[in-house]
Amino acid sequence: MSLFTVLTDVVAVVLVLHLLSLGAVRRLTGRKFRRGSLRENVRAVGPTAVVLGVLLLANGAVRDVGVELSWLIGVNITGAIHAVEGTFVADLQSIASPELTAYFSFVYVFGYVFLLTFPIVLYALHDDARPLAATLVAYALNYGIGLVCYVLFVAYGPRNFMPGAVESLLFTNWPEVQHLTSQVNENTNVFPSLHTSLSVTVALLAARYRSAAPGWLPIATVGATSVAVATMYLGIHWLTDVLAGIVLAVFSVAVGARVAEGRHGDEPSATETDRRPAGGVIEQFRR
Amino acid sequence: MGSESSVPTDRRSVLAALGSGATVLSAGCLQRARNLTGWRSTQPVTLRIKTLPTDADPYALALAREIASWFRAAGIETEVLPMAEQELMRQSLLRTEFEMFVMRLPEKFRDPDALTTLLHSRFADAPGWQNPFGYTNLGADEALERQRRADGAERRATLERLQRTVARTQPFTLLTVPDDIRAARTGAGPNWQVTDLRSPVGYLRLAGEYESGSEETVLRVVTTDRRATTNLNPLAVEFRRGGALTGLLYDPLARSIEGELTPWLAESIDLVDGDPPSARVTLREDVRWHDDEALTAADVAFTYDLLADTTLGDDEEDAEVPSPEFRGQSSLVDDVSVVDDRRLDVTFADADRAVVPRALTVPILPEHVWRDRTDTAAIGGIPVGTVTEALVSNNIPPVGSGPFAYVRNTPRESLRLERVEGHFSAREGADFPDWIADPAVDALSVRVVGSDVTAVETVADGEADVTGTAVGAATVPRIGRADGTELVVRRSDRPYVLGYNTRRPHLDNPRFRNTLARVVDEQHLGEHVLDGYARPAVGPLQGTEWYPEDLEWDGGNPVVPFFGRDGELNVEAVREAFREAGYQYEDGALVGGST
Repeated sequence: MSLFTVLTDVVAVVLVLHLLSLGAVRRLTGRKFRRGSLRENVRAVGPTAVVLGVLLLANGAVRDVGVELSWLIGVNITGAIHAVEGTFVADLQSIASPELTAYFSFVYVFGYVFLLTFPIVLYALHDDARPLAATLVAYALNYGIGLVCYVLFVAYGPRNFMPGAVESLLFTNWPEVQHLTSQVNENTNVFPSLHTSLSVTVALLAARYRSAAPGWLPIATVGATSVAVATMYLGIHWLTDVLAGIVLAVFSVAVGARVAEGRHGDEPSATETDRRPAGGVIEQFRR
Repeated sequence: MGSESSVPTDRRSVLAALGSGATVLSAGCLQRARNLTGWRSTQPVTLRIKTLPTDADPYALALAREIASWFRAAGIETEVLPMAEQELMRQSLLRTEFEMFVMRLPEKFRDPDALTTLLHSRFADAPGWQNPFGYTNLGADEALERQRRADGAERRATLERLQRTVARTQPFTLLTVPDDIRAARTGAGPNWQVTDLRSPVGYLRLAGEYESGSEETVLRVVTTDRRATTNLNPLAVEFRRGGALTGLLYDPLARSIEGELTPWLAESIDLVDGDPPSARVTLREDVRWHDDEALTAADVAFTYDLLADTTLGDDEEDAEVPSPEFRGQSSLVDDVSVVDDRRLDVTFADADRAVVPRALTVPILPEHVWRDRTDTAAIGGIPVGTVTEALVSNNIPPVGSGPFAYVRNTPRESLRLERVEGHFSAREGADFPDWIADPAVDALSVRVVGSDVTAVETVADGEADVTGTAVGAATVPRIGRADGTELVVRRSDRPYVLGYNTRRPHLDNPRFRNTLARVVDEQHLGEHVLDGYARPAVGPLQGTEWYPEDLEWDGGNPVVPFFGRDGELNVEAVREAFREAGYQYEDGALVGGST
């Protein structure tokens, strides 16, 4: 199985997940998606989307430069991270079973891509531009700050640091997927975990704009939690990376929402009349 | 690193005490403070091991962690720091920014004379694999010089003495000699079990016996080492492993074929005994560089000049910048004079005739390309340091004369070489073995993947013919399960070593290193980290005719036996040994420095 096969698999699975979820959300909300809102939204968030697109392209283009720069000016913090958290990831892996490995591998590759792409589709079809704008800004922040961190910090994940204690579960059980991951990332880029930060971003935005698609919040929450655990369970990230990822997500969402609501108006939209209070951290992210 | 900063720390604490307000600033008090700063307080000994991540090397990190756990049990706080191969070599071989490293020694140190550049104090400040340990031992220096000039029994006795000294003083601890494990596609044809993939000649053999499954005859190699896709400069220290690929691009005067040094680019080499010895070299007829320029004796002379001093500076004023990678060979050559286009005379340095042929194995470089690389390397037009462009150029595209020529590369991903039509090695009457004279492949492709498991799977899927880099023992069952895939296990000549930077406090003390070496159980490392695909040894010349009998492994290390059994450290014995070496223990931590 080559890179191409892995790629087509990912696209196919994620497409299926998209269709299933769109159907489910439609049934839950009981509303039809309006084609008109898609056009309006695209026009409204156009500039933001361009920024994100440029950032993603730049991310791909400067990845090699980033790695070179990172070895030149970055700090190697692998030992420090290990000193702080010790064998947490190894302990987590002690619960490993074939079923869990299969589940978390699926989540890490397919679930993650779905989790990131679905809100864009969902919010694009929504008749309020703010969720989409907030999502794009938050993504851009995640990538931008993540990239800077990857230059400043050199760190290897637990699978590269604790052979024997931590197994590289994803790549030993599913080696082909490394063709894909090595295309999009470097093994020294683990702090913070962008898998975690982007997934948590999605969940936080789902909570904030849950009136846009009420059924999406539980899926996003379970998905984000699974992705965060998967990164550690599979031996790819440290707990430290995951925590830093969550911090990055909270920051990105806070800024993203502020920017979106500043630009696209603050008054609640017609569909947002069924607001209910939510507790804890999530409450802070509701307006 | 702790003790490095011990004096400033003490000063700082005295200053802090002075500044705390509890002390009245009087002359007597300051006098007392001065007295105090004269005394160094003891510092816990802390060490850091730099090595490769698991993706880059299947065992290095596991070895380092095992060693670190023994050191910690002995009361030495030890940290392990992984880094990319290129970076590790840059920090430890070029900048000496390390305390200890775990790496594999290059294969060239199987030749006794090569130990000169590895261990002679003259090379303690030289970059690359030239005494990276900063080892200085006058006895060893003398033995290294003597073995060059001696022959027969005297050379043997000198080398044995040298090896005993090195084994006792431990500039590095030889951890284990791994077996190289590879996965190969059975259908690709050659007898994999006798194919040696560590040398360019091994690849030539593979190319000669290859049977393609399809129309295209491309030998496909999958590797975890991406360096060859970004740099093909045979002189670049931090990018070269064994030089197998650059050895296909460049021709030396002579190559070792089936254990015998055979004239290669040279048609004949007539060694003349004498004091010093010399050689009349005749090149093959009508040899061309890949850019179609003619290869002449002037290129050969230029190469030896360049290797000896990459600035090619004539006057004595300027510092010389020799090529670290080939210093051992180039230092054996005194002078090369061109007789005509095809003939040249090589005058060797004062050395025995058994030693000097090694000098003929360096890659011959084209003068018309490399002459422009003798200036100090610059970034954006600004010269940086003293290093020459020749040593840091990525040399892509390379212009060689070898049996394979560069076609294209994608940095970090792939490299493609194509066979050169009409290379002299495939001409009639060249008198090489059939597998060289009649190559069966048109091209060689190198593909980089993320880890050894993925490399094995790539071969198992039929997308590559062989793993170019050795894979870990953990992949053996996977290779066994895969259809049409063969497990190739070969003894390797590249031991894992724990290298000490003997310029650093504590590590500068041979007794300290000797005791450290006794905290490492080499046998246990081989059996548990390398799953038995290894054998323990004391010195890098193990298994050669030069290895003394009393250094043979005998159920344990005969010189620095492990304190304990089966990987279990006898902590009391270690503490006793360190105390005898002048160290102390405080709360279980080893402390050093005078009190």
